[in-house]
Amino acid sequence: MEAEKVIELAGVEKTFRDFWLRPTVKAVDGLDLSVARGEVFGLLGPNGSGKSTTIKMILGLLGPSAGSIRLFGLSPRSIEARKRIGYLPELSYLHPFLTASETLHYYAGLCGLDRTTARSRATQLLEMVGLEEVAGRAVGGFSKGMARRVALASSLIGKPELLVLDEPTSGLDPVSTNEVKTLVKTLARGGMTILMTSHLLADAEDVCGRVMIVNHGKAVAEGRIGEIGSSLNEFFLAKVGEGRDFKVAPFLQ
Amino acid sequence: MKALWQIVKLELLANFRSRSFYLLTAAVVLWMTALPAFVKSDGTSEGARQICIHYSLAGAFAMVLMALAGAAAGSLSRERAAKRLQLTAVRPVRFFTIAAGRYLALMLVGTMQIALAGGILTLKSDMDLSRPCDHLLSPVLPSVWEEAEAMYSVYMQDEETPEEVRKMDKREVIRLLAAKAPDHYQTVATNETARWFFPDFVPSGAVKVQLRFTNTYDTREDVCGLFRLGCAEGVVSNITQAVAKVPLAGMIDQVVGERVLEFANQGGGSLMLRPRRDIKLLVEADGFGWNLVRALLELTAILSVAIAFAIFLGAGLSRSVAVFTVVAFLVLALVSPAVVEESDEFASNKYDRIGIRLARVAEKITRPAGSLAPLEKLAGDICVEKSEVAKTILLDFAVYPLVFIFLAALAIPRKQDLA
Repeated sequence: MEAEKVIELAGVEKTFRDFWLRPTVKAVDGLDLSVARGEVFGLLGPNGSGKSTTIKMILGLLGPSAGSIRLFGLSPRSIEARKRIGYLPELSYLHPFLTASETLHYYAGLCGLDRTTARSRATQLLEMVGLEEVAGRAVGGFSKGMARRVALASSLIGKPELLVLDEPTSGLDPVSTNEVKTLVKTLARGGMTILMTSHLLADAEDVCGRVMIVNHGKAVAEGRIGEIGSSLNEFFLAKVGEGRDFKVAPFLQ
Repeated sequence: MKALWQIVKLELLANFRSRSFYLLTAAVVLWMTALPAFVKSDGTSEGARQICIHYSLAGAFAMVLMALAGAAAGSLSRERAAKRLQLTAVRPVRFFTIAAGRYLALMLVGTMQIALAGGILTLKSDMDLSRPCDHLLSPVLPSVWEEAEAMYSVYMQDEETPEEVRKMDKREVIRLLAAKAPDHYQTVATNETARWFFPDFVPSGAVKVQLRFTNTYDTREDVCGLFRLGCAEGVVSNITQAVAKVPLAGMIDQVVGERVLEFANQGGGSLMLRPRRDIKLLVEADGFGWNLVRALLELTAILSVAIAFAIFLGAGLSRSVAVFTVVAFLVLALVSPAVVEESDEFASNKYDRIGIRLARVAEKITRPAGSLAPLEKLAGDICVEKSEVAKTILLDFAVYPLVFIFLAALAIPRKQDLA
């Protein structure tokens, strides 16, 4: 039996327009994508390839110019779909005046959790990300890595069925990066569906079951990690290109 | 409801922890307590009372209005610019809840500040909470349009009517005459009796006639005569004040039927007055304390419209544009009534008339947020009527904010840089 589709994109396009509604950039161009329940799916691509725009459309933050997007068979902007999503953005975007504990309680409240459940989950999550000692400190004074941990914990407070991670290891030291990767694998084993983007191909190779490489808004390759045949890095460069060599400016020579 | 409460709490915490709440509170307390010491009064208790209401309370309210409207305009736009709004928007929360939560939090802050200003006012030694205030009744006259129609032919035959006005469309001239109707004079000759109808008059306490002479004609020393309302009478002679209140003595509760106020002019000269402005009946109502509560409720309602409008602007515009627009709107709201009130379109040239018309439109649009009438009434011991308060609450607490918050909810996802 085919696994339930959690994310389905069909012929999705996104064209950004200027004030006069003239098209400026076509960020996503006819993207088809499908992620099944329990999968860890990696969306890879160079800077400006349309990964973040795709994620924002999946989350309902942007509407597509053409095509259709369904999450759990629902519109991404429906309340029912949003109840089942957790999101970790590329930067943490926390309210600097809230403490770590208050941040988690805030998002727990938005997810409709009662006070007892919110308290219990906040305590467990802060312990999980190693911030229980600083739970009462304002996150405005946190280092980038600590803020990232709070953001990760807050994305999980609603116990989502789909977790969307935009560069989850960005700003983390190697030890924390390993911890996050282990956490992602554990969550996936528990049945959570995970969609992630990463510039660090080694990270994607470690945790993703399947990847899609996008370039100029189009899918250029898709496959299971074990079936690619070479390392993900070689596969990526083969599909996207080697890039250009920097020609050192004469005054620097 | 949980999500709404979380957003209210977040906005309140933002206010408390950024210290803006405490700064505003300190400013209100300072303004209410220290300002009367710096403003020169006439030395009387009444003068001090007027300063406390006209300067302290009005100034504190203007300060709270500007500060919170600015904060409301920046609330959503700042969150969007800092990319924090997207983290709320991906949760199972309606955009309406996001906008409504911010409105409620800022209203809570505003209500606290207005209550604080009112509370300080009641502690002033010049404020007697039991001091009576009066219902203000105006005579019922023919409508301004009927009066303008009746005046049209007389006005056009008048040699002094400017040629430019003669060339104007009849409807336009009638509109201008109707706008000037409150300033039309009625002449009461010596030994003549004038009558004004007050069908809304209900005998419920002491009654006074208010005569107000704010015109350029020097009539105040010559007024001499007798007011009669049913069996109650009051004598007026040698008025030396711009506003005279003439108590009516007698069987006031037996006034039934047509409720006609008569004035028999017994002076040496004719009396000229503007019935729409200069003659009123004052019927005793409750005390200053309750009147203050009603006036503060009306001010809170004005604040409510301004905050909701500012949140709508912040949902669709960037922070700087939203803050500028809301401040410009509030300034327009405060200035346009004065322009409309003071302007004389007959005496203006074509370009001035265009300006006055624009001011009229602005005054109409900004009317819900533009009137400080409750404070004028409070200072003049005039009752802020319960019916007015109920109407204001219905419109300014319910209808307008709901519309603006609904519009804000539509604007939030349409603003592309939400993400």
